[in-house]
Amino acid sequence: MISIKTPTDIKDLARGAVLLGTGGGGDPYIGELFLQAQLDKGRTPNIVPVDSIADDALVITIAGVGSPPVMLEYLVSDDTLLEILARMETLLGRKVDALISAEIGGINSMFPLALSAMTGLPVLDGDGVGRAVPRTEMCTFSIYGCLATPAVVLDELGNSVVFETIDDLTAEAVLRSITAALGASLFGAFYPMSGAQAKATAVRNTVTQTQEIGRCIRTARDGSGDVFAQLLGYLNSRPGRCAHLLFDGKIVDVTHETRDGWHWGRVTIVPLTASKDVFTVDIQNEFTVARFNGRTVTVMPDLISILDRESAEPITAERLAYGQRVKVIGSSADPLLRTPKALAVMGPRNFGLDEDFIPIEQLV
Amino acid sequence: MREAVRIGIDVGGTNTDGVLMSGTEVLTSTKAATSQDVRSGVVETVTRLLDDWKGPRDRIEAVMIGTTQFVNAFVERRGLEPVAIFRIALPRGKGVPPMAGWPSDLVQSLGAHIYMVRGGAFYTGREYIPLDEEGLRQAALDAHAKGVRSTVICATFAPMRPELEVRAAAIVSAAMPDTRITLSAEVGGLGLIDRENASIINASLALLSRRVVTSLTAAFRDADVRAPIYLSQNDGTLITTEIAERFPILTCSAGPTNSIRGAAFLTNIEDAIVADIGGTTTDIGFLSKGFPRETTAPNHIGGVRTNLRMPDVLSVGLGGGSILRHIGAGEALTIGPDSVGFRLREQAWVFGGNTLTTTDIAVRAGQAKIGDPSRVAHLPDSLVATALDRIHHRIEEAIDQVKTSARAMPLILVGGGHILVSRQLRGASEVLRPRYAEVANAVGAAIALVSGRVERMYDLAASGRAGALEAAKNEAIAAAVQAGAQPGAVEIIDVSEMPMTHMKSGSVQIRVRAAGPLAALASTANRVPGAGISR
Repeated sequence: MISIKTPTDIKDLARGAVLLGTGGGGDPYIGELFLQAQLDKGRTPNIVPVDSIADDALVITIAGVGSPPVMLEYLVSDDTLLEILARMETLLGRKVDALISAEIGGINSMFPLALSAMTGLPVLDGDGVGRAVPRTEMCTFSIYGCLATPAVVLDELGNSVVFETIDDLTAEAVLRSITAALGASLFGAFYPMSGAQAKATAVRNTVTQTQEIGRCIRTARDGSGDVFAQLLGYLNSRPGRCAHLLFDGKIVDVTHETRDGWHWGRVTIVPLTASKDVFTVDIQNEFTVARFNGRTVTVMPDLISILDRESAEPITAERLAYGQRVKVIGSSADPLLRTPKALAVMGPRNFGLDEDFIPIEQLV
Repeated sequence: MREAVRIGIDVGGTNTDGVLMSGTEVLTSTKAATSQDVRSGVVETVTRLLDDWKGPRDRIEAVMIGTTQFVNAFVERRGLEPVAIFRIALPRGKGVPPMAGWPSDLVQSLGAHIYMVRGGAFYTGREYIPLDEEGLRQAALDAHAKGVRSTVICATFAPMRPELEVRAAAIVSAAMPDTRITLSAEVGGLGLIDRENASIINASLALLSRRVVTSLTAAFRDADVRAPIYLSQNDGTLITTEIAERFPILTCSAGPTNSIRGAAFLTNIEDAIVADIGGTTTDIGFLSKGFPRETTAPNHIGGVRTNLRMPDVLSVGLGGGSILRHIGAGEALTIGPDSVGFRLREQAWVFGGNTLTTTDIAVRAGQAKIGDPSRVAHLPDSLVATALDRIHHRIEEAIDQVKTSARAMPLILVGGGHILVSRQLRGASEVLRPRYAEVANAVGAAIALVSGRVERMYDLAASGRAGALEAAKNEAIAAAVQAGAQPGAVEIIDVSEMPMTHMKSGSVQIRVRAAGPLAALASTANRVPGAGISR
């Protein structure tokens, strides 16, 4: 089992979380500093395999929700996460036995680990999606029968809302309006589930994989080999998963706009050679579809990551800029995200794309 | 009528460059070695300029100085002062305390005098809890008792509500009569930790900045120059010595900016790529409307992350002193990134040394006439051709990386290493080597304008996009006038918008920069040269 004990471990985890954030998920920076503050107090998170949890255990997710730039001002406190845990226990009438990340891509990889360091509660080595997604209901917990609510959300001022909805589409809508009313950034506990449900619905080993991705990039960079060859080697070594280098080039255009509370945009990349090829990646909070000369080469829920072409540092959507030299990697999502049931919720049509999901294995 | 004369000085790590300008004309220029104490190098530069010019000193109307002194001091941990940090955020933000993630040696030298106080604002600017005035007063008294004299006040969303920090400053200075206070909203933009970090760096330089400014002022007094002194800041515009003394961090990246701005002025071109080829590196920047493009990503100063706006400069390890090595025979050749640096004149072959440098190649190829060409006459043509191919290819690659479109743009070469370039470069519509290119940075200082900027969130529902943009522009122009620009002559030089998610309606973060000529000079110099602004 992996452990997180040093600043380097945290950096590795954060780098991997940005890659799996596929452009979104929020910059893990504040989460990194928060987790580091826990390590500085001599507390380390306790990460355990998903399968080690008892069937009748109570598992919850802990997450920050809202606008990432606002969280960069509001930050986070130990008290807030402890209070959320306490209120969830009161609400459910029993002790929580374990935590799990709702979304390993981006900043929400960090908060369950920090709360685990504070309380000693185990964190399951898994999450609800194995990447980042823009909406609450787009996760394996929701898709395979767990509900996001009853949930507790709290701001750091002491305002809290407990809510319960009949489905997670409604939970998402309610959560959005609570977030807007309470200053655009909050923390919450969601998805109360049994150990048996966690085992049936979680995407496994994602904490480990996230840290290993970050570590792989770091060690390859420090060594003499080709960083991308080693990264792809790692990604392809995961059983049943595949990854490809989709494109190598220079960003020539980035568009951003906010519509209906989402960050929309498109990045256009052209080769460094004289070739006339054009590569585009669409953004809807996360990267949703990558197209080579107009032909789809990777599409949701498969993963698209854009990285600096020299250092292999993954780049979030808001940091993409004209002139950057990048490589784009496509990788297959966990099989749990590719079932008909999952595709009905997070397939291309849920992102306004007029196409059906085709696995990256058949596109590249 | 006697035209105003101005002195531009750039204090670099190796050289202190100077120019004397009248209107748009360079009257004379010089280069002296940077001295350990800065002051004597500046005095030497100014004395040489004035001796060469022979004009009356009362015609000098302004002195502009660019220096990397302060940032170098921070990076080298020299002369740093303990800092008390009053973060006004509680009950928010306890989990990520000030100086989280800082290198431990820095935390030690600044002391961890951290005080967390209740207060702060939402992104709308509305305060979410009243400021705990008594708590702040007690904290300030405690810091004062510990002997700390330099302080930072950093409040949640202070850029949206600067008044909150101003109010806090009144309380702190009442409790600490001799303190120097850095307000976060005066230093950085949104992102509390990055802004707080920049403020702490600034506060740690308080003593040093006072010393340097006093020393520079004295240097000009020694040289019998009585004109007002201005310092260049990161965006290539000017601040007074009083402001520089309070905000040394604003000057930390003036060198590359001045070089890019100077290149624009010397060629009279406003949109171009500028390559400053030095001894060890080539710094390539993008000139847009007469100003360098700025970075959007966070940057690190001495291991500390900040969100200061810096010129977006790509540095590649290729300069006039870069060392050539053969690995085996034939084509296997490496150039740099190591360099003989300022020892070029001892170590390069053409100067009697025994290290093969890019300068030796340039001399052998007949691109430059320096040193003793006979010492490199034996170098084989094939080696020279291969090396030149590599050098030009590296610069072409870097230019392409800096550009924003495939369209060819003018390339301006400045710095002593420009002799390395002899060919037409891919992506460059023309290659310009202006006169005085070797002192372009001092020229950049001499022609600088005064700027104002605003960076905050606007509610589109309240005033619409056009209204929000108009409000931001007016605020930036007012800030420029406040900083000393001539009213009515201030122009907008940069506007950017970043939409926000998860907010009630369309909220947008708008950043605007405006700049104009110094009002103090407007009477004699009716047009500031190289402004790069269409009027």
